[in-house]
Amino acid sequence: MEEYNSGEEVGFNPDEISVSVKECVEGVIGGTDYNQSKVNQWTASIVEHSLTHLVKQGRAFKYIVNCTIMQKSGAGLHTANSCYWDTATDDHSVPDLADDWLPGDPMTTP
Amino acid sequence: MGESDTYHIRPNHQQKFRPAVVKECIREIVRERLSGVQYNPEEVPELTRSLADSVKDKVKNSGFDKYKLVVQVVIGEQRGQGVKMSSRCFWDADTDSYAEDVFMNASSILVPRSLPGLWPEAVLTPCLHS
Repeated sequence: MEEYNSGEEVGFNPDEISVSVKECVEGVIGGTDYNQSKVNQWTASIVEHSLTHLVKQGRAFKYIVNCTIMQKSGAGLHTANSCYWDTATDDHSVPDLADDWLPGDPMTTP
Repeated sequence: MGESDTYHIRPNHQQKFRPAVVKECIREIVRERLSGVQYNPEEVPELTRSLADSVKDKVKNSGFDKYKLVVQVVIGEQRGQGVKMSSRCFWDADTDSYAEDVFMNASSILVPRSLPGLWPEAVLTPCLHS
Protein backbone atom coordinates (compact mmCIF):
# COMPACT_ATOMS: atom_id res chain seq x y z
CA MET A 1 0.00 0.00 0.00
CA GLU A 2 2.89 2.32 -0.57
CA GLU A 3 2.74 4.78 -3.35
CA TYR A 4 5.30 3.93 -5.99
CA ASN A 5 8.16 6.22 -5.22
CA SER A 6 11.62 5.93 -6.65
CA GLY A 7 12.92 8.27 -3.98
CA GLU A 8 12.66 8.03 -0.19
CA GLU A 9 10.83 5.32 1.68
CA VAL A 10 7.71 6.52 3.45
CA GLY A 11 7.33 4.31 6.48
CA PHE A 12 4.70 3.93 9.15
CA ASN A 13 5.91 5.18 12.51
CA PRO A 14 3.97 3.38 15.27
CA ASP A 15 5.27 5.59 18.09
CA GLU A 16 4.22 8.79 16.45
CA ILE A 17 0.81 7.34 15.67
CA SER A 18 0.45 6.12 19.22
CA VAL A 19 1.08 9.60 20.58
CA SER A 20 -1.39 11.31 18.28
CA VAL A 21 -4.09 8.71 18.93
CA LYS A 22 -3.62 9.08 22.68
CA GLU A 23 -4.17 12.81 22.30
CA CYS A 24 -7.41 12.18 20.41
CA VAL A 25 -8.59 9.86 23.16
CA GLU A 26 -7.70 12.32 25.94
CA GLY A 27 -9.50 15.02 24.04
CA VAL A 28 -12.72 13.03 23.87
CA ILE A 29 -12.88 11.30 27.25
CA GLY A 30 -10.13 12.86 29.34
CA GLY A 31 -11.04 12.86 33.02
CA THR A 32 -14.58 11.47 32.77
CA ASP A 33 -16.13 8.42 34.36
CA TYR A 34 -17.71 5.60 32.40
CA ASN A 35 -21.14 6.65 31.24
CA GLN A 36 -23.23 4.14 29.40
CA SER A 37 -25.35 6.69 27.61
CA LYS A 38 -22.28 8.39 26.19
CA VAL A 39 -20.16 5.43 25.28
CA ASN A 40 -21.49 5.15 21.71
CA GLN A 41 -20.69 8.74 21.08
CA TRP A 42 -17.24 8.43 22.62
CA THR A 43 -16.16 5.46 20.57
CA ALA A 44 -17.44 7.06 17.38
CA SER A 45 -15.64 10.34 18.13
CA ILE A 46 -12.37 8.71 19.07
CA VAL A 47 -12.29 6.59 16.00
CA GLU A 48 -13.33 9.38 13.65
CA HIS A 49 -10.88 11.89 15.06
CA SER A 50 -8.02 9.40 14.97
CA LEU A 51 -8.78 8.42 11.42
CA THR A 52 -9.14 12.00 10.24
CA HIS A 53 -5.83 12.86 11.84
CA LEU A 54 -4.11 9.93 10.16
CA VAL A 55 -5.56 10.67 6.77
CA LYS A 56 -4.53 14.32 7.03
CA GLN A 57 -0.91 13.25 7.18
CA GLY A 58 -1.28 12.57 3.51
CA ARG A 59 0.54 9.27 3.40
CA ALA A 60 -0.35 6.62 0.86
CA PHE A 61 -1.75 4.14 3.36
CA LYS A 62 -5.05 2.46 4.01
CA TYR A 63 -6.02 2.56 7.69
CA ILE A 64 -8.11 0.48 10.03
CA VAL A 65 -8.84 2.03 13.41
CA ASN A 66 -10.46 0.06 16.23
CA CYS A 67 -11.53 1.30 19.62
CA THR A 68 -12.75 -0.72 22.59
CA ILE A 69 -14.04 0.98 25.71
CA MET A 70 -14.78 -1.20 28.69
CA GLN A 71 -16.01 -0.29 32.12
CA LYS A 72 -13.47 -1.15 34.76
CA SER A 73 -15.16 -3.77 36.92
CA GLY A 74 -12.49 -6.36 37.53
CA ALA A 75 -13.55 -8.44 34.55
CA GLY A 76 -10.85 -9.60 32.17
CA LEU A 77 -10.49 -8.55 28.53
CA HIS A 78 -8.05 -10.07 26.05
CA THR A 79 -7.35 -8.94 22.52
CA ALA A 80 -5.25 -10.75 19.91
CA ASN A 81 -4.44 -9.83 16.34
CA SER A 82 -3.21 -12.03 13.54
CA CYS A 83 -2.24 -10.34 10.30
CA TYR A 84 -1.29 -11.50 6.85
CA TRP A 85 0.41 -8.55 5.21
CA ASP A 86 3.66 -7.22 3.85
CA THR A 87 5.91 -6.62 6.85
CA ALA A 88 8.08 -4.25 4.85
CA THR A 89 5.30 -1.71 4.39
CA ASP A 90 2.59 -2.55 6.91
CA ASP A 91 2.48 -2.17 10.64
CA HIS A 92 0.19 -1.50 13.56
CA SER A 93 0.17 0.74 16.59
CA VAL A 94 -1.57 0.00 19.89
CA PRO A 95 -1.50 2.93 22.30
CA ASP A 96 -1.49 1.83 25.90
CA LEU A 97 -4.39 3.54 27.57
CA ALA A 98 -5.29 1.58 30.70
CA ASP A 99 -6.53 4.34 32.92
CA ASP A 100 -8.08 4.65 36.30
CA TRP A 101 -11.55 4.91 34.90
CA LEU A 102 -11.58 2.83 31.78
CA PRO A 103 -9.27 1.20 29.27
CA GLY A 104 -9.47 2.22 25.62
CA ASP A 105 -7.49 0.59 22.89
CA PRO A 106 -7.39 2.26 19.50
CA MET A 107 -5.37 0.21 17.07
CA THR A 108 -4.37 1.68 13.80
CA THR A 109 -3.13 -0.44 10.97
CA PRO A 110 -1.95 0.70 7.60
CA MET B 1 13.80 -11.80 -21.91
CA GLY B 2 10.84 -12.79 -19.78
CA GLU B 3 7.32 -11.49 -19.87
CA SER B 4 6.66 -8.29 -18.01
CA ASP B 5 4.86 -8.62 -14.66
CA THR B 6 1.14 -8.15 -14.71
CA TYR B 7 -0.13 -6.14 -11.81
CA HIS B 8 -3.67 -6.90 -10.75
CA ILE B 9 -4.98 -3.64 -9.46
CA ARG B 10 -8.43 -5.06 -8.85
CA PRO B 11 -9.50 -8.56 -7.87
CA ASN B 12 -11.46 -10.38 -10.52
CA HIS B 13 -14.97 -11.51 -9.72
CA GLN B 14 -14.02 -14.95 -8.36
CA GLN B 15 -11.38 -13.53 -6.07
CA LYS B 16 -13.45 -10.73 -4.66
CA PHE B 17 -13.81 -10.68 -0.92
CA ARG B 18 -17.12 -12.17 0.23
CA PRO B 19 -18.17 -11.19 3.74
CA ALA B 20 -20.74 -14.00 4.00
CA VAL B 21 -18.17 -16.70 3.26
CA VAL B 22 -15.70 -15.24 5.70
CA LYS B 23 -18.34 -14.85 8.38
CA GLU B 24 -19.16 -18.52 8.03
CA CYS B 25 -15.46 -19.45 8.38
CA ILE B 26 -15.21 -17.38 11.52
CA ARG B 27 -18.39 -18.85 12.93
CA GLU B 28 -17.30 -22.45 12.39
CA ILE B 29 -14.01 -21.99 14.13
CA VAL B 30 -15.50 -20.10 17.04
CA ARG B 31 -18.29 -22.57 17.68
CA GLU B 32 -15.92 -25.47 17.47
CA ARG B 33 -13.35 -24.00 19.82
CA LEU B 34 -15.53 -22.20 22.32
CA SER B 35 -18.67 -24.21 22.95
CA GLY B 36 -18.82 -25.14 26.59
CA VAL B 37 -15.56 -23.39 27.43
CA GLN B 38 -15.43 -21.36 30.63
CA TYR B 39 -13.52 -18.12 30.95
CA ASN B 40 -10.22 -18.99 32.55
CA PRO B 41 -7.69 -16.16 32.97
CA GLU B 42 -4.74 -18.55 32.70
CA GLU B 43 -5.81 -20.02 29.40
CA VAL B 44 -7.55 -17.15 27.69
CA PRO B 45 -4.47 -15.28 26.39
CA GLU B 46 -3.26 -18.35 24.55
CA LEU B 47 -6.78 -19.14 23.35
CA THR B 48 -7.24 -15.64 21.94
CA ARG B 49 -3.95 -15.80 20.08
CA SER B 50 -4.56 -19.20 18.66
CA LEU B 51 -8.09 -18.32 17.57
CA ALA B 52 -6.78 -15.29 15.70
CA ASP B 53 -4.22 -17.44 13.91
CA SER B 54 -6.75 -20.15 13.09
CA VAL B 55 -9.23 -17.67 11.66
CA LYS B 56 -6.53 -16.02 9.59
CA ASP B 57 -5.33 -19.35 8.18
CA LYS B 58 -8.81 -20.56 7.42
CA VAL B 59 -9.78 -17.38 5.60
CA LYS B 60 -6.51 -17.38 3.69
CA ASN B 61 -7.18 -20.92 2.53
CA SER B 62 -10.75 -20.21 1.53
CA GLY B 63 -9.75 -18.50 -1.66
CA PHE B 64 -8.63 -15.14 -0.30
CA ASP B 65 -4.92 -15.75 -0.41
CA LYS B 66 -4.33 -12.70 -2.59
CA TYR B 67 -5.74 -10.42 0.05
CA LYS B 68 -3.92 -8.98 3.02
CA LEU B 69 -5.80 -9.91 6.16
CA VAL B 70 -6.12 -8.38 9.59
CA VAL B 71 -7.89 -10.54 12.16
CA GLN B 72 -8.75 -9.25 15.59
CA VAL B 73 -10.18 -11.41 18.36
CA VAL B 74 -11.44 -9.95 21.63
CA ILE B 75 -12.47 -12.18 24.52
CA GLY B 76 -14.03 -10.58 27.58
CA GLU B 77 -15.33 -11.99 30.81
CA GLN B 78 -19.07 -11.62 31.39
CA ARG B 79 -19.59 -9.78 34.61
CA GLY B 80 -22.30 -7.39 33.64
CA GLN B 81 -19.90 -4.56 32.83
CA GLY B 82 -20.51 -2.27 29.89
CA VAL B 83 -18.32 -2.63 26.83
CA LYS B 84 -18.41 -0.95 23.43
CA MET B 85 -16.26 -1.57 20.35
CA SER B 86 -16.10 0.64 17.33
CA SER B 87 -14.02 0.80 14.19
CA ARG B 88 -13.57 2.89 11.07
CA CYS B 89 -11.54 2.23 7.99
CA PHE B 90 -9.95 4.24 5.29
CA TRP B 91 -9.62 1.90 2.32
CA ASP B 92 -10.80 1.19 -1.17
CA ALA B 93 -14.49 0.34 -0.82
CA ASP B 94 -14.44 -1.39 -4.18
CA THR B 95 -12.03 -4.15 -3.19
CA ASP B 96 -11.88 -4.07 0.60
CA SER B 97 -14.35 -5.22 3.19
CA TYR B 98 -14.74 -6.94 6.52
CA ALA B 99 -16.67 -9.64 8.34
CA GLU B 100 -17.36 -10.13 12.02
CA ASP B 101 -19.10 -12.46 14.42
CA VAL B 102 -20.09 -12.30 18.07
CA PHE B 103 -20.22 -15.30 20.36
CA MET B 104 -21.51 -15.22 23.92
CA ASN B 105 -21.79 -17.83 26.56
CA ALA B 106 -22.44 -17.60 30.26
CA SER B 107 -18.91 -16.64 31.10
CA SER B 108 -17.48 -14.81 28.12
CA ILE B 109 -18.08 -12.67 25.07
CA LEU B 110 -15.98 -13.24 21.99
CA VAL B 111 -15.78 -10.94 19.01
CA PRO B 112 -13.63 -12.22 16.19
CA ARG B 113 -13.39 -9.78 13.34
CA SER B 114 -11.64 -10.34 10.14
CA LEU B 115 -10.84 -7.31 8.10
CA PRO B 116 -9.41 -8.51 4.88
CA GLY B 117 -9.57 -6.52 1.92
CA LEU B 118 -6.35 -4.84 1.71
CA TRP B 119 -5.86 -5.67 -1.94
CA PRO B 120 -2.10 -5.72 -2.07
CA GLU B 121 -1.03 -4.99 -5.60
CA ALA B 122 -1.23 -1.35 -4.91
CA VAL B 123 2.11 -0.32 -6.24
CA LEU B 124 0.23 1.13 -9.13
CA THR B 125 -2.86 2.22 -7.29
CA PRO B 126 -3.23 5.94 -7.24
CA CYS B 127 -3.78 7.29 -3.78
CA LEU B 128 -6.58 9.71 -3.34
CA HIS B 129 -6.27 12.68 -1.05
CA SER B 130 -8.29 15.80 -0.93
